[in-house]
Amino acid sequence: MIVAPQPETQPSPSGWHGRLHQEFEYRQGTTSMSHCQTCAPLKVQRPFYPEGEAVCHSVILHTAGGMVGGDRLSLDLRLHPGAQALITTSSAGKIYRSQGSTVQQTTQIQVAAGACLEWFPQETIVFNGAKYDQTLRVELAAGARWLGWEISRFGRSARGEQFLQGNWRSTTEVWQQGIPLWIDRQQLPGGSDLLHSPNGLANCPVVGSFALVGQSITADVVTQLRDCCAAIAWEGTAGVTRLMSGVLCRYRGYSTRAARHGFQALWAILRPLYLGRSACPPRIWI
Amino acid sequence: MIDSELSLLSLLQLTSPGLPVGAYSYSEGLESLVANGVVTDGAGLKAWLTQELQGGAARLDAAVMVRAYRSSLQGDLTGLQAWNHWLSAARETEELRHQSWQMGYSLLRLLWQMIPADSGTGKTTELLRHLGNPIAPDALHQDVNFAIVFGLAAAYWQIDEGLALLGYLHSWATNLVGAGVKLIPLGQTVGQQIIQDLQIPIYHARQTILELTDSDLVSCTWGLSLASMTHETQYSRLFRS
Repeated sequence: MIVAPQPETQPSPSGWHGRLHQEFEYRQGTTSMSHCQTCAPLKVQRPFYPEGEAVCHSVILHTAGGMVGGDRLSLDLRLHPGAQALITTSSAGKIYRSQGSTVQQTTQIQVAAGACLEWFPQETIVFNGAKYDQTLRVELAAGARWLGWEISRFGRSARGEQFLQGNWRSTTEVWQQGIPLWIDRQQLPGGSDLLHSPNGLANCPVVGSFALVGQSITADVVTQLRDCCAAIAWEGTAGVTRLMSGVLCRYRGYSTRAARHGFQALWAILRPLYLGRSACPPRIWI
Repeated sequence: MIDSELSLLSLLQLTSPGLPVGAYSYSEGLESLVANGVVTDGAGLKAWLTQELQGGAARLDAAVMVRAYRSSLQGDLTGLQAWNHWLSAARETEELRHQSWQMGYSLLRLLWQMIPADSGTGKTTELLRHLGNPIAPDALHQDVNFAIVFGLAAAYWQIDEGLALLGYLHSWATNLVGAGVKLIPLGQTVGQQIIQDLQIPIYHARQTILELTDSDLVSCTWGLSLASMTHETQYSRLFRS
């Protein structure tokens, strides 16, 4: 009865349909990328192992630089039992002004028992006039964990551009064995009152969300995260709350960089709890 | 009396501030918005509530209430439970989730205790009797959202769908205006004027909400999320988490 948003079934009249299918397996202490199939403009760099062989780091590239109306991206990621992967992107995503069609990005993620995916793409810049619809759906097996963040800038605010036209919609759903653990369905129509009102963006061009799902979090850890949150120079405001199985941080402010640095600080507190490891930021972020 | 008049009386009971579900003890983020100087007067309060009706969490919540109502009329237990899970997962913060659960459970227990033993065997009656029964194997127990039980109650009392939705939105707004009157503070007359002024936004919200498809269940809730997260740790408060 509850229908997950489906990607468009008819091919877009113009534009790219980039595809990515990646799988990770865990054997004898090593997570390897056991399958990788891409279709331009998406590519994947050779996996690397900056923290030993248990955690595979992978970088996704979008070789066209940005996306225009009608472009589609479909990502399909699977982690087999026990696999641990950290995935990021090589650069900020850009969604250009569209005359007609919507840019669609659909990400399907399956995380098997005992596996853990850290999904940390770089920020997305939504140009004035862009139409963007992204859906991310995660299926967690018992004992699986997913962490992810999404950081978006509306308009190229450094040059005074505002998000006056277009539409942005972003849906994130994390399910475990048929039960939703976290559903986040955000929309921002270009030029709407929500850009200015305190209910929406309160004139801030940047929003971000960082979530851990699939791991129960004690009140003590929430307090620790909040203390950390209060000490961060966010260039905006941020808050922390507990999810039914996990924790969520929201950001609203002026800097994508400050948002990521803040999320990284919270990640550094959480990672020893769910992975027994200290945080290991990919070099590409520096 | 004819049936529709009885339904109206039931709606008035369901949306009365006297309904013992504790709605008055929550401010849904307003307390921290007032403390931080974001909402400082009647105009600010009205603007905040209007935006929540147009594109915020209140709209989603009410849209799920309508779905619960429709599932209840069909005796669709699976649907009702699925929407209950959905709403729990979509809550902005832990305190908003707990508020919804506390109020939902209070109303469910109340209704269950009020059903006469000889109240017949209608689909909705069966559903209510089943879900509210503390010993039923798949009863909704503690984690049942207020919007779900409100929808079930409205179906049980055969209240018209559109009227139930108007009543739901109106009682939500009235409760938060009451919170704003205490917090800002405002005079009672100003509070009543705001409730009057919210009639048109509530009317428009009803029209939109009735037509929303499942894939249109979206909102923009950065303001509410951050305000409620702040409230969860606010040092000195009148309203509960």
